[in-house]
Amino acid sequence: MDFLRPTTWADALAAKAERPEATPIQGGTDVMVEINLDKGRPAALLDLNPVAELRDWSSEDGWLRIGAGVSYTRLIDELGDRLPGLAQASRTVGSPQIRNRGTVAGNLGAASPAGDSHPPLLASDALVEAESVRGSRLIPIGEFYLGVKRNALEPDELIRAVRVPYADGPQYFSKIGTRNAMVIAVCSFAVALHPSRRGVGTGIGSAAPTPRRAPEAEEFLAGELDWDGRTAVPDETARRFGELVARAASPIDDVRGTRDYRVHALAVMARRTLGWAWTEYRGI
Amino acid sequence: MRYVGQPIDRLDGVAKTTGAARFSAEYPYPNLAYAALVHATIARGRITRIDTGTARKTPGVLAVITHGNAPEMKPAPKPNQFDMSTLAAATSVNYLNTDEVYWNGQPVAVVVAETLDVAREAAYLIEVEYAEYPAAVDFAAEEGNARPQKSTMLSEADGRKGDAEAALADAPFALDLRYTTAQVNHNAIEPHSTTAYWDGDHLILHEGSQNVAWVRDHLAIRFDLPKQNVRVISPFVGGAFGGKSFVWPGTVLTALAAKVTGRPVRMMLTREGVFRTVGGRTPSIQRVAIGAQLDGSMTALIHTSVCQVGRTGGWSEQVTSVSRHLYDAANIQVQQNLVGMDLLANTIMRAPGESIGSFALEATVDELAYELGLDPIELRARNEPARNPLDGKAFSHRLLMECFEEGAKEFGWAGRPQEPGSMRDGRWLIGMGVAAAYHPAWRFPANLTVRLSDDGTVLIRCGLHEMGMGSATAVSQIAADALCVPMAAVTVAYGDTALPDTTTAGASSQTASVTASLLAACAKLDRAVFTLARKTPGSPLRGLRRADVTARDGGLYNGSRGESYHDILRRAGRASVEARVGADTRLGEIADQVRSMSKFLLDRRRWVKAACGAQFCEVLVDSDTGETRISRWLGVFDVGRVVNAKTAASQLRGGIVMGIGLALTEETLVDPRNGRIVNASLSEYHVPVHADIPVIDVRYLDDPDPTMPLGVVGIGEVGVTGVAGAVANAVFHATGKRIRDLPITLDKLL
Repeated sequence: MDFLRPTTWADALAAKAERPEATPIQGGTDVMVEINLDKGRPAALLDLNPVAELRDWSSEDGWLRIGAGVSYTRLIDELGDRLPGLAQASRTVGSPQIRNRGTVAGNLGAASPAGDSHPPLLASDALVEAESVRGSRLIPIGEFYLGVKRNALEPDELIRAVRVPYADGPQYFSKIGTRNAMVIAVCSFAVALHPSRRGVGTGIGSAAPTPRRAPEAEEFLAGELDWDGRTAVPDETARRFGELVARAASPIDDVRGTRDYRVHALAVMARRTLGWAWTEYRGI
Repeated sequence: MRYVGQPIDRLDGVAKTTGAARFSAEYPYPNLAYAALVHATIARGRITRIDTGTARKTPGVLAVITHGNAPEMKPAPKPNQFDMSTLAAATSVNYLNTDEVYWNGQPVAVVVAETLDVAREAAYLIEVEYAEYPAAVDFAAEEGNARPQKSTMLSEADGRKGDAEAALADAPFALDLRYTTAQVNHNAIEPHSTTAYWDGDHLILHEGSQNVAWVRDHLAIRFDLPKQNVRVISPFVGGAFGGKSFVWPGTVLTALAAKVTGRPVRMMLTREGVFRTVGGRTPSIQRVAIGAQLDGSMTALIHTSVCQVGRTGGWSEQVTSVSRHLYDAANIQVQQNLVGMDLLANTIMRAPGESIGSFALEATVDELAYELGLDPIELRARNEPARNPLDGKAFSHRLLMECFEEGAKEFGWAGRPQEPGSMRDGRWLIGMGVAAAYHPAWRFPANLTVRLSDDGTVLIRCGLHEMGMGSATAVSQIAADALCVPMAAVTVAYGDTALPDTTTAGASSQTASVTASLLAACAKLDRAVFTLARKTPGSPLRGLRRADVTARDGGLYNGSRGESYHDILRRAGRASVEARVGADTRLGEIADQVRSMSKFLLDRRRWVKAACGAQFCEVLVDSDTGETRISRWLGVFDVGRVVNAKTAASQLRGGIVMGIGLALTEETLVDPRNGRIVNASLSEYHVPVHADIPVIDVRYLDDPDPTMPLGVVGIGEVGVTGVAGAVANAVFHATGKRIRDLPITLDKLL
């Protein structure tokens, strides 16, 4: 196994162009686990840690551009106020040590359906900034996940940054695990309210081959919410929202939980996060 | 006593927290080589081809050992109750001396290389082909093939009083329930590791072990060496819980690899390697049936179990033992059964039998209490026996109801509404549960020497084992009190076969076993020193009788007359005085074994000895998702005299944490198609983490058992017993749901 260690972004892109089969590694919290469990040996590892550019984030026009090397810990500390949904999800990742190493971009690169950052990224319409020696492009998050651990990156592309709009309304994340911490999600869910456009965003984790949204649920809820009067959400509406979210999932039975449990729990999490979000929106 | 009972910091605490303590994979040797295992991927069959070509050509590889080229080893001895060391063979397989595969994960090759990475890389490159045989690997499907377990001298597999089935049929009230528990694994923080080297025909081994003498005896047999040619060194063990009691393949194969390469070899198993080559706790299927009068007095108690053993070995657990002792039922029937499987041999794991047996029994007792409308503690009080229920033997000591009483008071038990599902805090349903803890007290022969030197220091040489529980600290405290010297003057040498064979660190027996010998040796030493002083010209103690003299402040005194040990030895011109317990000849050893075995059996005829306790648990269960959180825990224990208040509480607490894992999260998943463990890693096998564990309040009554040395009863295992029962009972109280299948995972609660 070769270990490639570029020190600049330009070198990293060149290396990836030359060795498209190289697996990028940042915190190593996914890649190293896979290697240690012998689930495959990449021909080469492309270590992005020395690339200083990736460690920065910036803000423009209501968007945050989060470099691929920004750890969960920094995201929580430095951006938590502007990205509450993503920050909540980040707090549930692994242990403090893992959060010091792991990154959202790494989560995207691995594209595991159980990755914690996917649901809030989906709910807030994030963009993935992919780059290669050929140029740069923005991939809408909804088009990024292609299959179990497969994403829309071309073989020569690397993730430069994730772009997430400032929260324009309440955002909540919920995750169920088989224990209280350091656990892969049995299933997870994120909701984001977008009052400026009277829209609702959702993200479902660990309950389908890819992270996905629940478009029908989003559309239904956006039409039902009393955006101006801010009256309470009728129980029937919340229940229906939960149902539509659960219906959008296609979970399986596995070692962490059953299909039926996931369907049930998604509906619960959808109702629950909606309750939290709407309470915040109403300012009570 | 100045030290016994005090919360003294463990003596090796600083060494461990600073990294100075050396574990078995940390001994540096010049020219050290590293070994890695290749595991079989079928459950049963024969190897038809092994391609090691690419592995051999990998730069840095020193040897690839398979059944095709491995030196011959002697087979493991047949287990024999009269020679306990024969139990050390975890399996009967003669590793790499056979082309047969007996379990999915059995080592089929060892790679030795210049570095660990090269060894693991090359192991990955070996290709093996098999002819597969039919295999029984699905425990649930094999239940019908179970056969009655054989009783041993140490543990009876069945028992009866009266006619329990008839009494059950006639009982005004009866429950007849089925329980299942999952396979679980120890997962000590230190994976099994061995560093081995050969010095001519002497084998030296660094090995994390709960019984260094067994490892020595076993390897001497396998490599056809005299016992004294094998030395096993194991001063620090990074947790064991039963998983390091026997000799597993990695140990034997490291010694073999060192022999083949002529170099010191280290093998540190990966976590996966531990799952594949070191057995865990058997899964179980249990039946508990109780017949009772309407006032709660039990007329019938039936407890039967089915567990698995590997075809090549496996520990037979005493799952129903708790039902022999806990309740005064008029008719009792207990029966343990085993089914042989083509799986890795299971092994002992903290309270083998009692941990899962107490779950089924205590959940049934709780269910009975609810059905009869009685408080679960009141129901227990109504069935508390005066003598051992099964056979009428006397209890040496039993304060079980006192534990319940103190616990109920401290936990606020009386304030709880009995109605299930009646306590709530927002979305969380709250429940409180209680269960009895019970574990037999054992004592085995232990050899040691105690030496008093003329500088006033005391050296105890004793092959005991320190897996984190504070054994050496406890021994120092006891010796310092026995000889009336400061603790700082006492040193304990342990964890080495160069020291006298002590005993196994298992069955919660080590401290009691060592204490008996230690007190005897200290008494001998005291007599020897006094005799020396009395005879030495000029001694202030001359002419006195022992009864006139008191040991205090590191010397012997009669009022102000007397002198320090230092002065006694100096005056007599002696550098040291030593006392020994245990023979140092083979003949003497056999005599000792016979003597201690007869004492053991006599004791067993006379008394039932045990540690017991009451476990109180409060859970929160999410009403919508079934997520279960332990919010409070109190354990009150009757464990005889406590030697060290700090390490004892830690050990009891650790047992409770392990029990919470057994109750809620831990489950080794075996693929029913091929017998392969599918979650052989800590990322998918879930031990509890800090966030799962509340503050655990541990108390003990500190009342010495009159039949045990110093009143000490073992505490290593009782903490884990009753825990799963208390959790299941609390979950019922919270939700109204009885979950009779461990672990209690989310989906079972919906």
